[in-house]
Amino acid sequence: MTAQSTLTSEDAPPRGAPAALTRVLRKLAESPEAGVIIACVLVFAVIAANAPTYTSVGNLQVMGRDLAQVGILAVGESVVILTGGIDLSVGALAGLAGILTAWFNVNQGLPAPLAVLLTLLICAGVGFWHGVMVTRLNVPPFVITLVTYTVAQGLALAITTGTPINGIAPLFSNLSQYYIGRVPVPALFFLGAVVIAWFALERTYVGRQIYAVGGNKEAARLAGIPVARRVTSAYVASAVLAGVVGVLVIGRMNVADPSVGSGWELTAIAAAVVGGVSLFGGEGRMVGIAAGAILLEFIANGLLALHVNTYYQTVVQGAVLGAAILLDRLRARFFGRIRR
Amino acid sequence: MTVLDDTPAPDDRPPPDGIPASEVAARDVTGREAPASAATTREVPAGEVTARLRDVHKSYGPVRVLDLPELDLHAGQVVGVVGENGAGKSTLMGTLAGSVRRDGGDISIGGKPLAPGSTEAAAALGIALVSQEFPLVGQLSVAENLLLGRRPRRSRRRLLVDRPALRREAVEMLAEIGLPAGAVPVGRQVRTLPVPTRQMIEIAKAWGRRPRLLILDEPTSSLGPVEGAHVLRLARELAARGGTVLFIGHRLDEVREVSDRILVLRNGRLVADLTPEEASEERLIREMVGGEVAHARPKAEPTGAPVLLSLRDLTADGLGPVDLDLHAGEIVGVAGLMGSGRSRLIHTVAGAQPATGGRMTIAGSRYRPHDPGDGTAAGIAMIPEDRKEQSLVVFAPIRSNVTIPILRRISTRGLLGPRRERAEAERITASVNVRMRSVDQPIGALSGGNQQRAIFGRAFATDPRLLLLDEPTRGVDVGAKAEIYELIDRAAERGMAVLVASSELEELLWICHRIAVLNHGRLVDLIDRAEATKERIMTAAAGTAPIVAVPGGGPEPGPELGPEQAPEHVSEHVPEHGDAS
Repeated sequence: MTAQSTLTSEDAPPRGAPAALTRVLRKLAESPEAGVIIACVLVFAVIAANAPTYTSVGNLQVMGRDLAQVGILAVGESVVILTGGIDLSVGALAGLAGILTAWFNVNQGLPAPLAVLLTLLICAGVGFWHGVMVTRLNVPPFVITLVTYTVAQGLALAITTGTPINGIAPLFSNLSQYYIGRVPVPALFFLGAVVIAWFALERTYVGRQIYAVGGNKEAARLAGIPVARRVTSAYVASAVLAGVVGVLVIGRMNVADPSVGSGWELTAIAAAVVGGVSLFGGEGRMVGIAAGAILLEFIANGLLALHVNTYYQTVVQGAVLGAAILLDRLRARFFGRIRR
Repeated sequence: MTVLDDTPAPDDRPPPDGIPASEVAARDVTGREAPASAATTREVPAGEVTARLRDVHKSYGPVRVLDLPELDLHAGQVVGVVGENGAGKSTLMGTLAGSVRRDGGDISIGGKPLAPGSTEAAAALGIALVSQEFPLVGQLSVAENLLLGRRPRRSRRRLLVDRPALRREAVEMLAEIGLPAGAVPVGRQVRTLPVPTRQMIEIAKAWGRRPRLLILDEPTSSLGPVEGAHVLRLARELAARGGTVLFIGHRLDEVREVSDRILVLRNGRLVADLTPEEASEERLIREMVGGEVAHARPKAEPTGAPVLLSLRDLTADGLGPVDLDLHAGEIVGVAGLMGSGRSRLIHTVAGAQPATGGRMTIAGSRYRPHDPGDGTAAGIAMIPEDRKEQSLVVFAPIRSNVTIPILRRISTRGLLGPRRERAEAERITASVNVRMRSVDQPIGALSGGNQQRAIFGRAFATDPRLLLLDEPTRGVDVGAKAEIYELIDRAAERGMAVLVASSELEELLWICHRIAVLNHGRLVDLIDRAEATKERIMTAAAGTAPIVAVPGGGPEPGPELGPEQAPEHVSEHVPEHGDAS
C-alpha cells in the first residue's frame, strides 16, 4: 500500500524537542557532510595536541600521499555505490595496474606514457565488463567484482612470479615524489579526482541521472533515463581511477610490488560510508566522501603518531565505521525517512 | 534452508475422513448451469459463531478502507464476499489473517480474541489464508513448502529433517485436496512448477493446517476450469465438516454457486448480506456499484481531432489483442478487474513492457519502443501507479525529483548548474500548485496529493503528446483528487491524448470521454461517455456476459481462449499492485 508517505504534514518537527534544537539538528542531519568535516577537525586537533610529530610538514606530506591511494579509490568506489552497486575489485585492480604498467615499461620496453595509457585502457575495459555484466546479465555487483578481485590479485602474482619489478622509468617517481610548493603531487591527484567527480556528479546532467538511477532504478527507467549506460559508466570510472592509483603507487615506491592494494577496497568503501554515502544508492556527496577519506587517513596516521599498538589500529578503524553507520541510521530514523 | 521448525499444528482435529480422490472428484456440486438448485441441496444449519467482528475498521491515510460495525461468520458455511476493486475485500481478509493491522475493533475466533496484525496469532487460532500472491519459497521443494514452519506430524526425530516422513506427509496433504500421488512431484522445486499447480499447493498447505476459518482470495482466478471446480468442492467439503470458508470471488457465478451466504462490500462497508437465492447477478452488481447512478458531468467532446495513438492487435505478456484509437485532446479510461491488464496496457504503450505483437502508431508514424526512453522520445509521459516505487526518489529533494526526465533538456552542453535546476523546479512545482516550504525539501515529506501534483508537473514539463496515467489518484485524499482531475482536464484541453487506467469507476465516469474495458487482457467493451454506467462496465469486466463485439475491430473470442479458460495471470513482469480491497 502506498496510501500515504510517512510524513503527511509538510513541516512536521519531531515531537518533544525544542524548536531551536530541532532546527540545528535538522540542518546538521540534512547535510551529513557537515558532521564528517567537524569530525575531521576534531580528530586532527585532538591528535595534534597529543602527538607533536603529527603536524610536522613531513607527516602531512605522508598523509597527502596516502590520500592519493585510498582517497582516489574512494572517489571511484563512491560513484559505483551511488548507483546502488559495489566494486570490490578496486584494491586488487590498483595492484594489478601497477604491475601491468611496470611490466609494459620494463619487460616490454614500452615508453612510460604509453605503458600508462595502455594500463588505463585495460582498466576501462575491466570496468566496462563489470557494467555489462551487472546491467545486461543482472549479475550481482558483489559477485562480478569479487571475480575480478580474485583474478586481478592472481594475475599480479603470475606476471611477476611473486617478485617485485625493478627499474621502472624515472617518470613514475618524478610523478609521485615531486612537490608543488610543499604539496606532494599525488595529493593534487586526489584533489583533482574529487573536483572532477564533484563536477561530473553535481554539475552535469549525466551526474544528476546517476543519482536518480541510484535513488530509484525503476523510476529512472520509467522516466526514460538510459539506466544501463549510467551504471556502466560508474564502473568504468571506478576501474580507471583504480588504474591511476596503481600508477601512482609504483612511482612512490619506485618498484612494482604485487602485494600492493590488498584490502584497500574495504578502506575505500569505509571512506564512502563514513562520508555519508548510502549503500542503498542515490545518496551522498563528493564533499562528504573526500572528508570521509581524509578522516580515515587522519585516524590511521594519528594512531601511528600516538604509538597505539598496531593490533588495535584496525579495531579503532572498525569502531569509527560502526559509529558512522549507527549515526547515519539514527539520523535517518530521526527524520522518518523511507528506506528499503 | 531445510530446517523446519516445530511449531505444533494449530488444531489437532483428525484429518478429514479419507475420502478417496476419485470420490471427491465425482461428487457433483458445482453445476455451473444450476446454481440456485445447488444452493437448496446444501442446507447447512448455521452453527456456532466461528468469527465475531465488532467495530473493525482500517484506514490508509485519509481513506477508510474497511468499516464493519458488526459481522458474524458461522461454522459450516461458505461465505462469499464480493465487491468492486477497492471495496475492502482484501483488507477484510488481511485483517482476519493478521497481515493487515486493524486500526480498531475486536475480532474473536471461536470465542478467543484475535490480536491485531499478527499472522502467528491468526494461525494459532486456526485461520488460514490462500491469497492471490503465493507466499511459497520457490527454491524449496513442494514437500518443504507444504510443511513450512512445522515438522511432519509422525516424525520421531526432534532435530534432524526426516525426509521420508516429510515426503509421506506431503503426499498425504496433496491427496487430501484430491491430488493423487504422483500428480505433483513433491521433490520438485516449487519455482519450476506452473502457476495453477502453485495455487493448488498453496491450497493444500492451508488445508493441511486444519483451519477453522479458511480464507480463499480469488482462488480460481489462476486456475483452469477443472481445478477451479475442484477448489469450489473443497470449500464445500470444509464447510460440511464444520469449518467456515470465506470465499472472495470476482466471478459472480462462482460465488453464487459455492456460497451459503453472500456479503457485498462497497467502500469498505457491508452493504448487503444475501442468501444465494436473493443474490441474482443483477442484484449483486447493483449492490456492488451502489444504488445511485454516477452522473457524468457535461464535457466538451474533442471533435475532429486527429488520431494520435493507434493500437492494432496489440499483444504483450498477459495483454491483448487490443485495438484502440486515441485522439488528441481525448481522455480514454481503462477499466477492468485486478489482473485484467490495465497496467500492462499502460506499460506496453510506454515501452516499459515489450509488446509481443501488433502495431502501434503515434501521429501516423510507426512506434516500436524498446525501453521507456523510446516512449519519452516519441512524446509520451507516463505516471505510474506506485509513486514510491516507480516515480520518486523519496529521500531526494523535490528539486531533483521533478527534473528527472528533463535533466538533459535543461542542460547546456551537458552542464547543469544548481541555479538553473532550482529555477526549473520552481517553475514546474508552481505550474501545478505544489504546496511546500521549498524545493529543497525531501519529496517524501509531502502529502500524497502534493507528491502526485509534483509528478504531474514533471510529466507536463516534458511537453508530451500522450499522457499515460495508472491509478492517478491512488492514496490521495478527496480534495487532492479533484485537483488532479483538473490537471487531467487541463492536459486534454492543451491537446494531449490521455489514457488513464483506474480501478475506481466513479473516477473514470467523471473524467473520461470513452472507457475501454479489459477482461483477461482483452478489450471487451469500449463505451462512450453518454452510455457509460457502472453496471455496464462491471458486467463487461466481471466477464460472465458474452464478449461483445467492439466497434472498430474488437477481438474475436477464439475457441481456445473463451471466458471459461482464462489465461494465467502472470504477475511477475508488471506488478499490478494490489488494490485497496
